[in-house]
Amino acid sequence: MSETIWKTYDPEPGHPGLHINLDSLHIWLKRKGDELWVAHNFDQEDLDLHRPVDEIESDMIKWSRWALKSSESELKLTPVFPNLPVIVSSEFPLKIAPNSRIQIVTRIPLWVQVSQEKTKYILTELPSSTLSRTWFGNPLEGEICYWLKTKARRNFAELEHKPNLINCPILIVNKTDEDLNFEKFCFRVDHLSIFNANGSLWADETRIEYFGEDMNSDIIMTGKLPEIIGKGERISKARIPVNKSFATRTFKKLFDDTFVSAR
Amino acid sequence: MNQDSTTVASDSSSTFPGNLSMETFLSEDFLSTSFRIAVIIAIAFPLILLFRGWARRFFSKKYATHYGMLAGKIVFYVGLIILIITVLGELGISLAPLLGAAGILGVALGFASQTSVSNIISGFFLIAEQPFKVDDIITVGSNSGFVLSIDMLSVKMRTFDNRYVRIPNEMIIKSEVINNTKFPIRRFNCSVSVAYKEDIARVREILVEVAEKNQYCLSEPAPLIIFDAFGASSIDLLLLVWAPKEEYIQLKNSINEEVKARFDKEGIEIPFPHVSLYSGSASNPIPVEISEMKKLPDQEKITE
Repeated sequence: MSETIWKTYDPEPGHPGLHINLDSLHIWLKRKGDELWVAHNFDQEDLDLHRPVDEIESDMIKWSRWALKSSESELKLTPVFPNLPVIVSSEFPLKIAPNSRIQIVTRIPLWVQVSQEKTKYILTELPSSTLSRTWFGNPLEGEICYWLKTKARRNFAELEHKPNLINCPILIVNKTDEDLNFEKFCFRVDHLSIFNANGSLWADETRIEYFGEDMNSDIIMTGKLPEIIGKGERISKARIPVNKSFATRTFKKLFDDTFVSAR
Repeated sequence: MNQDSTTVASDSSSTFPGNLSMETFLSEDFLSTSFRIAVIIAIAFPLILLFRGWARRFFSKKYATHYGMLAGKIVFYVGLIILIITVLGELGISLAPLLGAAGILGVALGFASQTSVSNIISGFFLIAEQPFKVDDIITVGSNSGFVLSIDMLSVKMRTFDNRYVRIPNEMIIKSEVINNTKFPIRRFNCSVSVAYKEDIARVREILVEVAEKNQYCLSEPAPLIIFDAFGASSIDLLLLVWAPKEEYIQLKNSINEEVKARFDKEGIEIPFPHVSLYSGSASNPIPVEISEMKKLPDQEKITE
């Protein structure tokens, strides 16, 4: 279960390494003298997890070492959102009628943050699954984001518990007199917190107000879970906290000139 | 004070400089002037350096690195000229004859330095037009590299094999310059040739899979496959994939290797150039007649 791994670990000196598994991600923690060692690996066919970690070939897992100022060795694992915005692309295009609103849930694969318990010093952050990257903008300007296909579920009851996914409720309000063709949008996850509610991970509700393709959309972080979920315990703060709302590009399409000339 | 200096001047005009007495140098006026000049230099020069550093940082941060470099140079040279004028004033040297001489010299130099003037004017155009900035990767003629600085006379560049190239501004203005890092993403056109016997739909599927799995290839703009041409020995396709500009080379390397590895795995043939020869009818092979083999008497000797 997801709640079991989000706790403090204290690797003992001489211990071959604590093994933590989340979906396809395997993490090993160990202590050597005053140093903390962290290794990770994604599921590989030829990786034998029953072998002691010290005997696994170095090309299968790579250790990173930290010589820390403090002798404190307690490490904490915290779920965090990916370090870039995520372009959420609907598996099947969904049209939102003029002046109407819909609520969807999209699920984002979390990252595992490894930090020192007392000093809060972040050692590393590891993705639970590797997302491909994409470009959001036009060929002259834009930003790098992660790319994710979503089912854009409308019914919260359909959600199956997955320990490495964060459920993100989104309310999209179309404030124009035209259809909003929801194929994909830029989800700025770095402004979201993570809550634990009934054993599942949830993000606070995001409200996106759409004013047209050429206009910025208003994004409001409500800071709380939808009523239907109930009250959860906040276990991770937003990477970039925002007071209440901000306006940014969310639905802009990419200009594509490939078909004009391939050369 | 004036009396003393007049005395020194008259003395020096009537005698050789080597005959200047020690008293001249130890006079109160001379020492006082020297002290003032030393104080001016000691205060003004660090101030000039300080302002140069500030101008560099401010303009680099607010605009671009090369604006910072330019602002730093302007501040430095203007400050230096003011300092020299002040020091000359303290020494009691009039600037009028110097400026007159500089005017005549300027005309002479003007004729002699047309190329330099042209480079300076081209430098202004480069700064205003801003086709590239410091740290961009540009290609000028046969040279590609990082821009180190954009100066009044020339652009300095460091090539990838770590050579220093100085290109006069005039040449840059006149010739074609490619800025490889102007835009944030770049497309790599990967040419792929397959044998005529291959199923193109299957090849397309494989290429899309390879692009999707490549860690440098962006999901959007989506990878695209173009049927380029019926080649002499192969069907030529283009796999168009995008990457952030910083990862272009990694993409180029990895995708070519991955396509080759995947084609080998799937048994897709990448043909070598080949030529079919026909004689007479287009569809019939060249007739070859094998005559009876006769052993030459000295064959064994030859083969040994």
